[in-house]
Amino acid sequence: MTQATTAILYAPGTNCHEETAAAIELAHGKAELVLLKDLIGGQTRLDDYQAAVVPGGFSYGDHLGAGRIFATMLVARLRDQLVRFLDAKKPLLGICNGYQVLTEAGILPGRTPGQRGMALLENQSARFEDRKVRMIVSKVKCVWTEGLAGQVLEMPSAHGEGRPLFCDSDAASAPRAVFHYGDEHGQPTMDYPSNPNGSPGAVAGVTDESGLVLGLMPHPERASLPGQYSQDGLRIFQNLVNWLNR
Amino acid sequence: MAIHSIYILSKDDPEARSLLSFFRRRGHDKLTNVMIERVVWLEGSFNMERLMPLFINPLYQVPAETSQLDPEHGPIVEIAYRPAVTDPETPSILDGAHALGEDGLLFARLSRRYQFCGLDEHEAKTLAAHFLYNKVVERIREPNEAVTTLRPTGNPDPVGKVSFEGLSDDELAALSRERSWYAPLSQMKVIQAHQKQRGRPYTDAEVEILVQSWSDHCYHTTWKSLGLLKRLMAATREINHPLVVSSFTDNAGGMDFVDGWVVTIKGETHNFPSSIAPFGGIATKHGGVIRDTLGFGKGAYPIGGTTVMGTMDPRMAESEVPAGALHPELIVSESIRATAYYMNPMGIPMMHPIYRCHPGYAKCFALGHSVGLLPKKYVRKDAPRPGDVAVLFGGSTGRDGVHGATASSAAMTGETLEKESAAVQIGHPITERRFTTAIPILRDSECIRTITDLGAGGISCAVGEMGADTGVEINLDAVPLKDKSLTAWEILLSESQERMLMAVPPEKLEEAQAILRRFEVASCVLGKFTNTGRLQAKWQGEMVVDLNMFFLWKSCPIDPTPTAPPQRHLAPLTILPPQSREEWGIVVCRLLSHYHCADQSPAGTRYDSTVQGRTAVGPYGGKNHRMPTNIYVSAPLRNKPNGVITTLAFNPFYGEIDPAVMARLMIWEAITKAVVAGTDYRQMVLCDNFYTPRVRPDTASELVAMVDTIADLSVEIGVPFISGKDSSSGTLEAGGKRIDVPPTLAVATMGRVSDVKKVVTKDFKRAGNRLLLLGRYDANILGGTVYADSLGQRGDSLFDAYDPISMKVQWDYLLELHAQHRYVSASAIAEGGMMLRLFEGAFGSGLGARVDVEGIPASRLDGLLFGEFIGACLLEVPPDFKIPAHLAGIRHQFIGHVTAEPHLTIARGGEVIWEESIATLADTWSETFREVVK
Repeated sequence: MTQATTAILYAPGTNCHEETAAAIELAHGKAELVLLKDLIGGQTRLDDYQAAVVPGGFSYGDHLGAGRIFATMLVARLRDQLVRFLDAKKPLLGICNGYQVLTEAGILPGRTPGQRGMALLENQSARFEDRKVRMIVSKVKCVWTEGLAGQVLEMPSAHGEGRPLFCDSDAASAPRAVFHYGDEHGQPTMDYPSNPNGSPGAVAGVTDESGLVLGLMPHPERASLPGQYSQDGLRIFQNLVNWLNR
Repeated sequence: MAIHSIYILSKDDPEARSLLSFFRRRGHDKLTNVMIERVVWLEGSFNMERLMPLFINPLYQVPAETSQLDPEHGPIVEIAYRPAVTDPETPSILDGAHALGEDGLLFARLSRRYQFCGLDEHEAKTLAAHFLYNKVVERIREPNEAVTTLRPTGNPDPVGKVSFEGLSDDELAALSRERSWYAPLSQMKVIQAHQKQRGRPYTDAEVEILVQSWSDHCYHTTWKSLGLLKRLMAATREINHPLVVSSFTDNAGGMDFVDGWVVTIKGETHNFPSSIAPFGGIATKHGGVIRDTLGFGKGAYPIGGTTVMGTMDPRMAESEVPAGALHPELIVSESIRATAYYMNPMGIPMMHPIYRCHPGYAKCFALGHSVGLLPKKYVRKDAPRPGDVAVLFGGSTGRDGVHGATASSAAMTGETLEKESAAVQIGHPITERRFTTAIPILRDSECIRTITDLGAGGISCAVGEMGADTGVEINLDAVPLKDKSLTAWEILLSESQERMLMAVPPEKLEEAQAILRRFEVASCVLGKFTNTGRLQAKWQGEMVVDLNMFFLWKSCPIDPTPTAPPQRHLAPLTILPPQSREEWGIVVCRLLSHYHCADQSPAGTRYDSTVQGRTAVGPYGGKNHRMPTNIYVSAPLRNKPNGVITTLAFNPFYGEIDPAVMARLMIWEAITKAVVAGTDYRQMVLCDNFYTPRVRPDTASELVAMVDTIADLSVEIGVPFISGKDSSSGTLEAGGKRIDVPPTLAVATMGRVSDVKKVVTKDFKRAGNRLLLLGRYDANILGGTVYADSLGQRGDSLFDAYDPISMKVQWDYLLELHAQHRYVSASAIAEGGMMLRLFEGAFGSGLGARVDVEGIPASRLDGLLFGEFIGACLLEVPPDFKIPAHLAGIRHQFIGHVTAEPHLTIARGGEVIWEESIATLADTWSETFREVVK
């Protein structure tokens, strides 16, 4: 059997795809960089991959809103493939700009492409914030954080629009908080800059009802490789690989 | 075609809130609120409903067909791009609409409506003009303006002829002035003589090319005349360092790394544009130096960058700002916004964000570095061959940056601010990001014969240099324009950003174009290389340029630059040591809150320092990630422990006392910062960036002294300079006053480390460890220190205690200690002296330090703690540390130990001279910059 492959989707302006692929490979997974344009052009198909990551960056220059155009492309041009991907219960991860893409596309939190249920707004400080944060893992079921509940993961965070806005929704499509920004005592915090964007409830990452789709603002791929200051992020990718190998 | 508009308000707008507080802080107390409404303008026939998801996220945005701002609440200023200019977002909008199946959308534009509650219309427009738009490409859109089309319109001027025949010297000088050529008379006369020889007048395009190619900015006439670049190149040649793979000849310098990879470094200043239009100037400073990396060899990939700013004191009173200069607070805050705006989307980690001030920086110092990575086999460019295709790719060409090269070569005057603001370019990082992804793929597919970036002088300079040995023929009608009103010479000289030029072998053209299309990089076939030895350009069927390459590149007259010893008016320091605990408290606070020592993370944390996943040690570290590390360590190859370390030294005070000594100290400081972290100076290269006043005999003499110093020194220590840049335009003349920048030299090091995990940082590691001042010190010499500056004094002498031999002995010793893991934290002494290092080491660790001065031979305690003993360092060593007998000749002074309590204590035996908690000191240290930037 060939090894399950994770697609790293990238578009003009994406700038974290290489290190994301490297982190997955370090977790003994197989990753492939997939250009959004090639998916739209039919040169590649999402169906050929068993998991996908939308990495960080400034796709399409953040024009019209962070993640907006990437999301528009996904929903308008790849909706069928996307729905098949979600129906096939494949894991999907959005990091930073990728998280913004997933919310703009309506994939998070409700798995409903084209129907948005949350948004990521400009940081309360109105500035880009480059910080090292503590992420407290909640007990919410999520394939990406299996076995990590209660732990505190350290990783970098670097974004200008990461403050979630949740709207009223039914239980099935409500966002489930997987990560909270923590203070030095490991408690969820509203204090700046430990909570770098002013996220209400200190929510740093959410999953959907199935626990397959995860979006988070901080960067696990920057806390994975041996040279980096923390390797906590690698555990998220190891969970992916474990899940794929099951 | 019908025009539609959508007015969008955000339910929650931190940007508007931030603007309100920015303006109020600048004294606009009447302003009670700021609202921002975004407008989308659309031309064509399409289904608006289907497009809405592209423009609106209903969760936080509210659309309407007419404005939602109530004019009763205050004046509204609408800012839009000029009709001739394309919005940077337009292609994205058209792409998005296409994805949604709405091909009937023909064109789109954006505008922003700012409402200033509490101001009158005039005040609102003044604020907008100052802070919110760039009049070169943007404008205020008047209400009820009739719009017939959104597409760019405008007509170019015809090509003009310029004759030099029969003009007197005075007339030549006047012509140069009127046309903003800034060409010296000697050049005008050579051009005049050449006209006679070739027997026909010039086109305006030809003269524009000549004068800008010969400007100091492009041709480095000052440096050539003084023989300075030759001097540095000769020194590097003499060192003949085995790691140097490229020095001074390409867009950057290259050092051998490991496994067939090379790392590159380049530093570039953008002082003039940043002084008159900081946002555009700084954004393009980064864009430009990054393109130097992309244009090195056959294309390197940028893996790190810096921003270094020297301005006047941002806290100065508005009334003290010299005529012709912008307020330094505006320059600093705009530069921060611009660095974030450009570097973050580029996905390049920030290595060193550094901000300094000096009253001489009326024309600011704006330096940026770029470090790159490429396979060794692509280090050399090939020469283009006749028949090779010249491919221009990246952004479209616009009016921005016309006359940038000649204007930046001139002194800045009160009028420059108005007259030459067109010389400032506009940066769009998404465009550069696209080809940053594409270039390594083009390179690895062997599509690139040679590549360079378009910077000063635009197309004419890049094409002219690339084809200098062959000849080249280009077609200006092929150039994609964002401004339809550009005429031939403007297309040739435009310094529009984000453009690259490459020579492609004809058989590779199709493949290269396919790669560019795949990564959505716009490109055009600009022309081809020939064997004519001429630079030829056609436009609208007419030959608008036909210049002999030899004349263009080999005929520029170099005026001799006389030198004369400078007059200095230095006064000895009159500083009395603090006498009481209270006085100690005051001087320490002054030191820690000094602009150069204070916490600069409010600026530095706006830049992504970990993108690319290569960062091993970032600009900030320690327990709370706010302690400045003064080093940056990258692990360029994933899963390899090998690292590249960079450090920087830049001090605006020392040069005022003695430029040559300052130059030496910058080398000592930059290298010692890296050595103390564990880097072998024998595996290190240097990059120099000079910024000096406009050339006069005295300033020329200072420049020569500095270059002589660093050239000699580099040979003596065997650490070569491999790249650098100079600017001799640091003079502002206005209102009968002249303000010179202090003689400035920033030295950057780039070194190899075998294992990034072995790098030692400055945060204290363990209570009970001893603190050791290693190296020479002299508590009596305080000239040029932050301490002296905080008391309003400069002094007349610098601490200058090392010669190359003693410095090398000390570095070797440090490396030996490092190899044996004999010290656990370390920092090189620089601005703020030992005191700042003690504070930072404690702050970064949550520990404290107790200094006991009993028995320390120092004439004055303040001198010991605040003196800037460049070359010395502070080490934290285990309690049982023994000085090796064979190295007793190196000065070791134990000064105290690390404590568990987070306090800083200065004691003599049992008597506490001064003591303070780290938390209290941190408050003081954190305040200065927060006030400046927020």
